[in-house]
Amino acid sequence: MEHFGRIFEAAPVTLEVTATCFTVGALLGVVLVSGRRSRSWVVRSVSRVVIDVLRGIPPIVFLFIVFFGIGSGAITLSPFQAAVIGLGLISAAHLAEIYRGSLLAVNRGQFEASQALGLGRTTTYVRVIGPQAMRVAIPGMVTWAISLLKDSAIVSTIGVAEIMLVANQDARASGSSLTPFIIAALIYIALGTPLAFLSRYLERTLSLKR
Amino acid sequence: MIALTPDRCNLMLRLEGVRKAFKDQVAVDDVSLDVEAGQVVAIIGPSGSGKSTLLRCINLLEIPDRGRITVEGQPTDAKGGVSTKELMKLRRKVGMVFQSFNLFPHMTVLRNISLPQERVLGRSRAQADARSMALLAQVGLTVKADSHPSQCSGGQQQRVAIARALALDPKIMLFDEPTSALDPELGLEVLAVMRQLADQGMTMIVVTHEIHFAADVADRLIVMADGRIIEQGDPKSVINNPQVDRTRTFLSAIRDR
Repeated sequence: MEHFGRIFEAAPVTLEVTATCFTVGALLGVVLVSGRRSRSWVVRSVSRVVIDVLRGIPPIVFLFIVFFGIGSGAITLSPFQAAVIGLGLISAAHLAEIYRGSLLAVNRGQFEASQALGLGRTTTYVRVIGPQAMRVAIPGMVTWAISLLKDSAIVSTIGVAEIMLVANQDARASGSSLTPFIIAALIYIALGTPLAFLSRYLERTLSLKR
Repeated sequence: MIALTPDRCNLMLRLEGVRKAFKDQVAVDDVSLDVEAGQVVAIIGPSGSGKSTLLRCINLLEIPDRGRITVEGQPTDAKGGVSTKELMKLRRKVGMVFQSFNLFPHMTVLRNISLPQERVLGRSRAQADARSMALLAQVGLTVKADSHPSQCSGGQQQRVAIARALALDPKIMLFDEPTSALDPELGLEVLAVMRQLADQGMTMIVVTHEIHFAADVADRLIVMADGRIIEQGDPKSVINNPQVDRTRTFLSAIRDR
């Protein structure tokens, strides 16, 4: 039981890492997808390269580059900061692709009607296309949040005191190497399952309204 | 006899040498056209004849490769691209109604009509809503103001789309097969609204397969094939006495079914 108490106390850190990375990713993803759909081909190409690179590097490798590579040079980053930058940027790339797909799902006629009415580009995206694309994007975004929650375990490798790091310490200190990890697994399941339900619920309600 | 001396003050739209190609497929081939204020022009022709593309060139949904479009004396040259400013200026004068209505599904009918007025003309919400309600009354849909498009029939959606375009006080209304996606009965209510609009003196260009509407309402009928105007004139005489073989085959195809 003392295993559980110790590990469970680290759950808020896991949630904090996940929520912060997701928020950073959700916002930067908008920037990246805007770049992807820019009228300038230079901006488009740069955005595509950034997205492909971020999605092509294994998260743990990127995390090490940020923390040990960049974060120990001229600027020093705390483990938490490095985690947010690393997983936040990777989330941005993935979410940008989810946004892009959902924008493609919006009927072409909606763009044409906006153009014909003389609406500006910003109004078109913010008022007409965005809200419709969001409906398509939300289930995918929640799915990404679930992956992120689980993948946040890798930030234990750079010393963020979340569930995995505490479970690992507990295993070494107590000499019992099965129980702490089983407990960690159960906590991840307990945190992730509501999100999975949310995802399915949103998928149902949002698709019905279309 | 049709008077062939164009009164320049009455000229609402002039197309000069408009050409549009997609890859190597020429959709609109060197089309010139004058439309006077208050005129209703119907365009018919087989699919792929370029009539929809021509219509979309008028409000620059398709940028022509060549040619000049003059709306109310304000010319836009296609050569060398069109600036956003020119686009906005031209589109402000031209309203368009699509085959697939293209209402915004996440907004109520009222918001659909009011939002563009607020954004494009800078009207206040109250001003815009007042205008929207007046137009909804005109198209007979006051009761649908707070409904979403999905709660309206196709015919109702198309009437809302007409109201939405009219709310911006366009000088010309373009209709791209406005009844083709509708059951015949629902199409009639849309045609009734268009007829009313024509009676009020709106300048209209209508791409359509509704030959009766063209005969009754249009002042001029244009027949297109292979990207060109092959025949035009008084609707009844074109329909009853076509001069070109291609027109004859097309007309018998839509009449004798």
